[in-house]
Amino acid sequence: MTIPVLLFSLVGMGLFYSQNLLLFPQVRLHLLGLFLFYVGLRPSFPLAFSLALVLGLLQDSFAATPFGLHLGASLLLVGMARFCRRRLLLQKTGPLIIASVAALTLQETGILLILMIQGFQPFILSGLTSFQGLEILATAALAPLMAALVVGLENILRRHGWRAERSGE
Amino acid sequence: MRPQTRFRTSLLITATLLLIISLLSLSVKRSPILEKVEGVVVSLAAPGLQGLHYLGSAISGIWEGYFNLVGVQRENAALKRRLDEYAQKEVRYQEAQQTLARLESLLDLKKEVALPVVGAHVIAYDPTLWSRCALLDQGQDQGVRRGQPVLTAQGIVGRIVEVYPHYSKVMLIVDRSSNADAMVQRTRVRGILQGKGGNRCSLGYVPKSADVQNGDLVLASGLGGVFPKGQVFGKVTGANKKTPGVFQEIEVTPVVDLSALEEVVVVKVVNLAASP
Repeated sequence: MTIPVLLFSLVGMGLFYSQNLLLFPQVRLHLLGLFLFYVGLRPSFPLAFSLALVLGLLQDSFAATPFGLHLGASLLLVGMARFCRRRLLLQKTGPLIIASVAALTLQETGILLILMIQGFQPFILSGLTSFQGLEILATAALAPLMAALVVGLENILRRHGWRAERSGE
Repeated sequence: MRPQTRFRTSLLITATLLLIISLLSLSVKRSPILEKVEGVVVSLAAPGLQGLHYLGSAISGIWEGYFNLVGVQRENAALKRRLDEYAQKEVRYQEAQQTLARLESLLDLKKEVALPVVGAHVIAYDPTLWSRCALLDQGQDQGVRRGQPVLTAQGIVGRIVEVYPHYSKVMLIVDRSSNADAMVQRTRVRGILQGKGGNRCSLGYVPKSADVQNGDLVLASGLGGVFPKGQVFGKVTGANKKTPGVFQEIEVTPVVDLSALEEVVVVKVVNLAASP
């Protein structure tokens, strides 16, 4: 389990770096969130859970928001992905994109809610902007690419004898 | 779902919720353990970012410096730097003139210039929407401490909120948690500069009777003891008196481009009010 977590974490870190060095501040795509959502949709729950911990910690360490905020948001995303996997049986691209939009929106709302409870954000609606909505839609449009990336990484691991553990489902 | 699996899922959800709530509570109380965890994660992740940042800068430097308009770019950069210096000098000159006019003989600009500083490179930003902060490549080992102000030649950037052995985190003035005592240069009206996220701030608690106009410079008043007096926060880009209540709504845009910071200086004094 260590090697898959390491590999996926490295890819996640690569996405974080590219977001930081190439996209910021012009574009704020939720690449890490989308990546995590697609890992969550795959069979291995321990992998998705561990990855949510690693990426949540990474984002929390680089932010000035309360520690644990992004960690919670990442775990929420994995929870959403597991729900979608079990209840909606997502297979086609269209529903996958819609599910991504719903999950990312829920994640943003969750973050806003925690920030509001902790007094960092005055009102929930003042934080939600149309610009943010567009960012989520643009991120969700990358869903097929992200799904291919996750499946590709799994295939690499399978060639080296990895089998997805389904515990926790 | 089997009962055993259902029990395990419920246990996992409860444990996760407890973990998150505990972390958030510890974070609010500024737990040293969390700071250490944060420090370890930053120390592990930042060198990669730093390396890529330098590599990117080197490649773009080679491209722009040698292949694309050799010499012109350098000259342009030098002229821009000089222009920035003159703009800053102009602000200081006006500030000094007003101070002299009010016979404030106690103002000692030399003291301001003589503050100990350390230069730092910005190596990363928080790319999320929820906070505005940046990571510097100078930390505790270089004398950086929490609360120290961070400046550029154009004006104020923010203040240090977390310090790790070789890195530090600066909360930018536009972060929603950022507050600072400020004043309008032209009329000396004071208020509290609050970050509004994105790239804007607001000057709060300014009465409607106060004269504030678009284009007015907003400076640090020096009263908070964090930012050096007279340093520039930004320019007034909107003043609205047609709001309910006794205060007007003033929007301030930072003079520093906080999304494209490269080199900054950290003033190595935590409490300027208490410094000699």
